[in-house]
Amino acid sequence: MTTCAIVAGIMPNVTEGCVADAKTGVRLATRSDESDLRDLTSLAVQGDRTAIESLLGQLRPMVVRYCRARLGRVSGHYHIADDVAQEVCIAVLAALPRYRDMGRPFASFVFGIASHKVADALRSSVRSAVPTQDLPDGPDQGPGPEETVVRYIEAEHARALLSRLPENQRELIILRVVSGLSAEETGNVLGMSPGAVRVAQHRALARLRAMADMESIA
Amino acid sequence: MTGVHPARSVRKRGPEADPEVLRTEAVLDALARRGPVGAPADPAVSLLRALTDDVDQWLSSVSITPST
Repeated sequence: MTTCAIVAGIMPNVTEGCVADAKTGVRLATRSDESDLRDLTSLAVQGDRTAIESLLGQLRPMVVRYCRARLGRVSGHYHIADDVAQEVCIAVLAALPRYRDMGRPFASFVFGIASHKVADALRSSVRSAVPTQDLPDGPDQGPGPEETVVRYIEAEHARALLSRLPENQRELIILRVVSGLSAEETGNVLGMSPGAVRVAQHRALARLRAMADMESIA
Repeated sequence: MTGVHPARSVRKRGPEADPEVLRTEAVLDALARRGPVGAPADPAVSLLRALTDDVDQWLSSVSITPST
């Protein structure tokens, strides 16, 4: 089966909301038995369709969160970030047949691709048109306008402060907190020991705290 | 007296054994798991919580696919 056929057959569209199951999914992907994930990856590399679907199902929520945290909203929406997350998943699928297990977790391979895709998107000066939503047929069960605005402002504030951190600390916090990787997994992605991750994240949080305190005084 | 001074112990075990570092690890791990965090007054933690809530939000009630 060609990669295109795989992509066309199993690749779900990433739209806002597809990370709803991530509250559990992210932990399944990162806290479950690593050997299971390794076995799954091995089967996926061999073209096992069920394994590919399962692997993607575990990784995609983390990728969407990562892209959303890095790229933020455009015109109040995550369409750009979700499109990039979709591109990452497609790139991972395309690269699967060439993937060789060199002892590093598969997540480090995935986030390596994600990091490049996000950098490409950030470099791109051309923003595609933002699709508008259809009017809902029924009542919107989501948060009200006031709550939405407050959450939006706080999230943008968090992004603004994160953008002022050194790049390695920003990447570490996003992987560790937003994508939900463990210290060990974050270390594997960034080429650091778990202990170094814990020390660096402590320094990053202290720096974030200091910046937030400074702003509240000003 | 053969007790080991806590600071000396941290030096021997490395900075990752610092209680403050371990406390941060616990807080960030709770944030990563989307669980309750025991540091509600920490502005940095509040901002990170807001960011995780924002990227996790579910907007399924609004479809962006044209209906047929």
